[in-house]
Amino acid sequence: MPKIEIPLKDFLPLAKMDSTDNLEALLESLKAELDGLYEKTVKIELNDTNRPDLWTAEGIARGLRCWNTGAETHLSCMADPVVHIDVHEELKQVRPYIAAFTCAGWTVDDDGLESLITAQEKIASSFGKERKTAAIGFYPLDGISFPVSYSVTSPETAFQPLGEEIEMTLSEILKQTETGTKYASLLKDFEKYPILRDSAGKILSFPPVLNSQTTGRVASGDSRLFCEVTGTDWHTVNLTATILACNLEDRGAVISPVEIRYSDGDAAVTPHIYRDTLSASLDEISKMIGTPAEELDLEALLSKMDYGEISVSDDSVTAVMPPYRRDGIHPRDLIEDIVIAIGLNNIEPILPSEYTVGSAAPVESLARSVKSLLVGAGCEEIMRPVLTSFEKISTLTRTPVPPIRISNPMTAEYGVVSSTLLPALLEVEASSGHAAFPHRLFTVGEVLCRTNSALCDTAVNLAVSTGDGDFGAVHSILGIICHLRGLELSLKAIDDTRFIPGRSASILINGNEVGILGEFHPGVLEAWGITVPVAGFELSLESLRV
Amino acid sequence: MSETVSKDLHPLEKTLLNWLSENDTGSDMAVMAGTGMDEGSYRRAFQWLLSREMAYVVSSTKTVTVELGPVGAVYTDKGTTPELALLEAVKSGTVSLPEIQKNELFDRGQWGSSMGALVKARILKKGKEGLTVNDSSGGVFSLIWNEVYSVIQNGKTLNLSDLDEQVAAEVSARAPKRGKSRAEFVINESTSSVIGITPLGKTALEGSRGVNTIGILTREILASGEWKDGSFRRYQVDIPPSRIHIGRLHPYGMFLDSVRDKLQAMGFQEMKGSLAESEFWNNDALFMPQFHPARDIHDAYYLEDGVEVAPPPRVLGDNVKAVHEDGGITRGRGWEYSFEWERSLKAIMRSQGTALSARTLASNPDIPGKYFGIAKCFRYDQVDATHLPDFFQIEGIVLGEDINMKHLLGLLKLFATEVAGATEFKFVPAYFPFTEPSVELHVKHPTLGWFEMGGAGLFRREVCQPMGIDVPVVAWGLGLDRMALLALGLSDIRDLLNPDLARLREMKSTPEKLLGGDDNA
Repeated sequence: MPKIEIPLKDFLPLAKMDSTDNLEALLESLKAELDGLYEKTVKIELNDTNRPDLWTAEGIARGLRCWNTGAETHLSCMADPVVHIDVHEELKQVRPYIAAFTCAGWTVDDDGLESLITAQEKIASSFGKERKTAAIGFYPLDGISFPVSYSVTSPETAFQPLGEEIEMTLSEILKQTETGTKYASLLKDFEKYPILRDSAGKILSFPPVLNSQTTGRVASGDSRLFCEVTGTDWHTVNLTATILACNLEDRGAVISPVEIRYSDGDAAVTPHIYRDTLSASLDEISKMIGTPAEELDLEALLSKMDYGEISVSDDSVTAVMPPYRRDGIHPRDLIEDIVIAIGLNNIEPILPSEYTVGSAAPVESLARSVKSLLVGAGCEEIMRPVLTSFEKISTLTRTPVPPIRISNPMTAEYGVVSSTLLPALLEVEASSGHAAFPHRLFTVGEVLCRTNSALCDTAVNLAVSTGDGDFGAVHSILGIICHLRGLELSLKAIDDTRFIPGRSASILINGNEVGILGEFHPGVLEAWGITVPVAGFELSLESLRV
Repeated sequence: MSETVSKDLHPLEKTLLNWLSENDTGSDMAVMAGTGMDEGSYRRAFQWLLSREMAYVVSSTKTVTVELGPVGAVYTDKGTTPELALLEAVKSGTVSLPEIQKNELFDRGQWGSSMGALVKARILKKGKEGLTVNDSSGGVFSLIWNEVYSVIQNGKTLNLSDLDEQVAAEVSARAPKRGKSRAEFVINESTSSVIGITPLGKTALEGSRGVNTIGILTREILASGEWKDGSFRRYQVDIPPSRIHIGRLHPYGMFLDSVRDKLQAMGFQEMKGSLAESEFWNNDALFMPQFHPARDIHDAYYLEDGVEVAPPPRVLGDNVKAVHEDGGITRGRGWEYSFEWERSLKAIMRSQGTALSARTLASNPDIPGKYFGIAKCFRYDQVDATHLPDFFQIEGIVLGEDINMKHLLGLLKLFATEVAGATEFKFVPAYFPFTEPSVELHVKHPTLGWFEMGGAGLFRREVCQPMGIDVPVVAWGLGLDRMALLALGLSDIRDLLNPDLARLREMKSTPEKLLGGDDNA
């Protein structure tokens, strides 16, 4: 989840708050958490991955202002566009979309500049998928002559990138600069790279990598800015530009739109004003919240959440989401905002009245019965992780069938899924030489096995082992369990790599082969570093069902 | 007094006193050899005599020996340690950790920690141009190989005190007292003593001569009536009992069973599922878009190629695909992207227990109905004190015609008081892709203070409608790790699944107190 740290002297006036008292509780309405409150800054974690507007100081401040004083208007009086950007055909395959606007009337100060940079980083990395679907550029507006052209160019094109002292070609930028190497993979499939130039031919930036040092460096004191967002996803590009425009407007800037002219004749004016309209029936609201919708002041509640054009009729409510949000994808989302505005802790908790009968899963009931017998037989229960290593199952224990591997393991230690529980018991034995004997161990757990087809299958197995015990010791334990459960047990000699030849057997219960029992081979014990004889058995728990 | 004491001497005590009165003093080994006692009998008899001041310790010496641990044994087999192998690799031109980590002689973690050790010991230097050699002799790590491994790899004993200070310190640091299965070395301490007899011991021995008391009451003594004339040796009743080891359930398992019992008592039926799931059931059916950040390759474990999970029913699959792409049969807009079947069918280790709820919804559940599941889940995390490679999640759903937010909050309140024993709780708005509205339950635990106990919400229509569920469904998931640790008195989550039997045997068994709440406090 994104976390941002913002200076309090910037944030509190923006949020129209005098102090941080109550900030923690207020943030809950934005699904945000107070992560840390320091002398000069506040750190906030945002839990809603669909609300990039909140990943900026302006967005959080706006949320809190509306919560306290109601909805605001956004980008409502933009003039018609007077400048435009030409988008070239060849970008279609590379990085097709751009949205842009200009702003004036707010002088960039240090905090504002920091906030622009934070927004640029947070939104482009998370929401913009590490700049793939959206990357952001800010420029001093003066000095740019429109129309700006967004096109492709050869990797050998050169300019002086931001933060560098010399001109570099685009391919040098990708190889030699820190930012370039970080984002080079976005362009690795292309022969030509995106470039943004003004009408005088000056290079503004190399999207999505770096701005120009001469035309793309915003500093404190600038009061007229040009902002563009490029990317591979139309809505991500446009929503990002709209969020940035709303943020700058909140700081006092006047936003002017830019027309985007695509090569195929299409045109769009950006920032795009999203007007996602949501409506829900009063009946549905009543059913979901458990309180008659007629008793709720829906207009006031939705206004706290910054909805516009709220209209409540006899049977439904309709409202328009603010333009910086696009996460309302179902009427249910409107109802959630009503619930948040009411306050979860203001809704009365009650219990469902329908009577239902509880029950454990059959395999769990069976496990309990069998475990109680094993405890009576003096066995101690062991629990180990399901993920384990190929070494433990195959190399050390010599299990004949290889376990299913994880294709992207974190470490080899947890690189396979247990297919048998005997290695876990041997591991305990190997780690417990110093623990007083007898060692009678058992474990009941899920394993993942191969089937005859490609499908895998989860089974619940039971394994028992005796440290310093022989074939007879485990046979007796299995024998008494079967006896007390009224099951007919017999063993059939088989050879198995894990056990001493002539001392291993297939377990048959009521005539069906259900598991294996034997005395571990000294080679297995030696591999594990076990210094006492060990015998064990493993079977499918279901085979003990009567 | 001495007569009473003399009559109560145990045969083992008499044997030991006898030997000591003839030899005056003797070492542990000499006494055992002289009396023929095994070590256990000897130690017991000596402890009894010591507590009665009939024997004393003349002198004792402590020896500390070093043995190879399991990890050390692996290094022996490989013929080198990761530190020396890394040093050699750097000498022959390897300059970065990622580079050496491609070498499979040791695993990534071992390469990483040996780099740390070498840099710390200033044998390697880490600079802008990568790793460089500072001390090509290998310093303490060469000494360890030459002076420790070469001696003990054939099972020979090595005294820690014979090693120079720096080597001894490094060896000790690599011999953890806990987690011996991961130890490079194991250090054993043993004490050998010389013991002697006290005047009181001599008096007691004298007094015991010719006195025949009944020790263990046997069948023969009962049958012969011999007890009628004899007197019984008085036992020393205030000595601690010998420790026996009994069959018992695992404390963590008992904790999970307590939760299972509690939910059954609240009218919930238990769900069971598979360890491996397709991404369909784990994510897609829960309306998690295929581009969701939590679906990154680094958030789930994928199964090896060729291993599959059965595909979902075709109709359900088509419905879910449509709901993702454009809202499908719901009135919503969906996520507006192109849903990939291939992705949906990939087999992964279940990453969230909610997959169980999805399967239950799709298999004609009871309405009204309540279901819960205790599911092993797998997350792509480094194992440490707060993360295991797999862990249990407790999940559940409640379906019913008239179920609403108030019931969701009512159930969460019940969990807060009944399961966590919370004194205070609050509800906080939250975000989960599959629920709307979404809620987090925060509880104030008597010991832990405020913490997030779980997430919950009403399943979105995009989750329910493709499964043919038209009634509201409340879904919740509770995190139990912290409560389990607290209930069991542990601070490291790895201790829940510890392989050391001796430590497991130290865990207390009070299942009736594992869940909080006034009744059980």
